[in-house]
Amino acid sequence: MAEQNNTPVATEKIKKMLERKKDKTKLSLRMCAHCTLCAESCFLFMTRGKDPKYMPSYKFINSIGKLYKKKGEVDRATLEEIGDIVWNDCVLCTRCYCPLGIDIPDMIALARSICRTQGVYRQYDK
Amino acid sequence: MVKAERKPLEEIKDSIKRYKRILTVGCGGCVSVCLVGGQKEVNLLNAELNVSFKADNSPKQIDGYTVERQCNAQYLEELDYMVDNYDCILSMACGAGVQHLAERFPGKPVFPGVNTVAIGIDKDIGMYEERCRACGECVLAYTAGICPVTRCAKGLFNGPCGGTNSGKCEVSDDIPCAWYEIYNRLEKQGRLEDIMNIRPPMQWQNTTLRTIIQEPYKERYAKEE
Repeated sequence: MAEQNNTPVATEKIKKMLERKKDKTKLSLRMCAHCTLCAESCFLFMTRGKDPKYMPSYKFINSIGKLYKKKGEVDRATLEEIGDIVWNDCVLCTRCYCPLGIDIPDMIALARSICRTQGVYRQYDK
Repeated sequence: MVKAERKPLEEIKDSIKRYKRILTVGCGGCVSVCLVGGQKEVNLLNAELNVSFKADNSPKQIDGYTVERQCNAQYLEELDYMVDNYDCILSMACGAGVQHLAERFPGKPVFPGVNTVAIGIDKDIGMYEERCRACGECVLAYTAGICPVTRCAKGLFNGPCGGTNSGKCEVSDDIPCAWYEIYNRLEKQGRLEDIMNIRPPMQWQNTTLRTIIQEPYKERYAKEE
């Protein structure tokens, strides 16, 4: 992640971004039946000892799901945690499969976009 | 992955100087990994441009935004609502990303902020070496995993040429002769016969626009045509 920064989180900006995809996010979170069928479509899940933290559903529920449920009212530590999930546990290869049609990559991408606006992003020279 | 280098500041300035409001768009893909066009580099470039334009008494509004991958239309959507606020776009992505942006926003001038150099490998953080030129005609199977297109100055399929000199290329003593290396590696692997047959010349498929459809998807896209 980016260097520690103490800038206050611009929650209004996060809310605006959430609002833009509110319907899709809400529907996706409601639709997830926790069936775990998405798990085996994730190569990280398959190659890292089937650790549940790599399940696509876990990743999207604990990233955009968290932001949505908290209505964007998150602190920097939470954003860092979300950043860790969406960058370190997901490469956004877009290969994850949901039998109910949830667009998990789009949800993860939204979480990444929100993190980026707050200065939380992956740095490849660290 | 694709490797790129940032363009000189003066060249970038020259391309955007006539515009007042500039959006620098980073890419979270390959150019982030090679430390040239990600969010961090967008912030750095914008800071440099701001200082430089101010020093020229020509201050501008320069903002930055980084999308996941400029080569994927899905990730360009988030720019739709913001590009109207700018006079031009400065893309920090590879050539594919720049063109994709220009295609999506045909009414906006889109300028490249980086030079796309190669498909390469990571030697170290910030150090990359070219390995592939996407010629579309991979011959690595018979050249012992050494690409003659990338590493031979003449791109020969049947080498070495008369310019090979004690393992070096005639272009420079610092450049190893690719065909000398190919020979040595094949000899070590006991398969020198792989280069005994004359190979047909390169078809230079990469001089025309190519569309890649992976085998399992051919039927699907054939139906759509």
